[in-house]
Amino acid sequence: MTRLLYFTLPLWAGSASAQGWGNVAKKEEETGFSWTAPLWPSFWMAWTPATFALFCGIFGAIAIIGLLEVFKYRDGIERRGILGLTTTLGDRLFISLLGSAYIFLAWLGLVGQPLWWPLGISIAWGLFCFRKV
Amino acid sequence: MKTENQKAWLFVLPVLLLVAFNALIPIMTVVNYSVQETFGNNVFFWQGLDWFEQILRSDRFHAALGRQFMFTFLILIIEVPLGIIIALSMPRQGMWVPVCLVLMALPMLIPWNVVGAMWNIFTLPDIGLLGYLMNHTLGITYDMTQDPLAAWITIVTMDVWHWTSLVVLLSYAGLVSIPDAYYQAAKIDGASPWKVFRYIQLPKMKTVLTIAILLRFMDSFNIYTEPFVLTGGGPGNSTTLLSIDLVKIALGQFDLGPAAAMSLIYFAITLLVSWLFYTLMTKDDAE
Repeated sequence: MTRLLYFTLPLWAGSASAQGWGNVAKKEEETGFSWTAPLWPSFWMAWTPATFALFCGIFGAIAIIGLLEVFKYRDGIERRGILGLTTTLGDRLFISLLGSAYIFLAWLGLVGQPLWWPLGISIAWGLFCFRKV
Repeated sequence: MKTENQKAWLFVLPVLLLVAFNALIPIMTVVNYSVQETFGNNVFFWQGLDWFEQILRSDRFHAALGRQFMFTFLILIIEVPLGIIIALSMPRQGMWVPVCLVLMALPMLIPWNVVGAMWNIFTLPDIGLLGYLMNHTLGITYDMTQDPLAAWITIVTMDVWHWTSLVVLLSYAGLVSIPDAYYQAAKIDGASPWKVFRYIQLPKMKTVLTIAILLRFMDSFNIYTEPFVLTGGGPGNSTTLLSIDLVKIALGQFDLGPAAAMSLIYFAITLLVSWLFYTLMTKDDAE
């Protein structure tokens, strides 16, 4: 049994070293782009690429819907959906976004992370809003 | 042929810029804060959605949220009927109209922190007029600095005193816009005062009442200054409403991350309730 240890210990050490043990005190090397690192460290708004992408998505969606309403679906865009509400494209975007926020918050509060399930539910909710509401 | 003219956008531009600076940029910053941790000095560490999870599961947040809904519910259920009753009993013409209107507008002209200070002094048990009268003359124990129930009665009364006028003035505006012909028709049909109220006055006041209730909901749900000056959230935590708790976390403890997450949840609640309310109230008109 002891002999087995003699043989395997160096292997363990080797694998631990390969996993990066013993490098704790070393400065982490710049690995390039990270979604969660500060985007502009000296700027006060504390942007990260992740939150920046989130807002790009929201404003992009608003812009696309605005353009669609102005150029493609002029007039007659309103319709009554299954909830009995008269909604335009913008209303439906608002309902999808607000609903998604609540789906994520509810999941976080009741179940916790990770959030793949609520992501799926939110996409389904968004599709439902744009097709039926 | 319809003329195409996009010049209106230019007129909206200043407002858009203003909204960008006083609403969008702060809220984007809050979103950034809510997923990070900071110890000051503009250095931030990624935290993910941990703050949201922590806030959503904290008893402290649940308690403050409960108190906030309680407060808003209480003041709405008092102010709206009271405002309508006062508006109905105000004169429609004559020299008393301006007097009533000015009297009604007076409480709303007083700054919020002054209202809080006034009611604080007014209700202090030993030096306040009301407090002294209750405790020493009438012999009723009333101390809003010690007793949670008294503190609640005081902040609700204060809000009713401060803001019922808004409901009154808006309802009154709705009432005076009803043409006389409606009342004459009701008289010919022999309608009772209740039926006149139910089928003529209330429907005509609906739009302004919607606005009044929306404004009162948002204002009371976001209320900070008055209860902060009056009770400071006490005694204990009994009047610590959501905004007071938020400021305690953000500025008292300097926990910017949890405070940002909490304010986003707060914002989502205000947004949802306002949207639901507005949609339900205007649904019939669209049909």
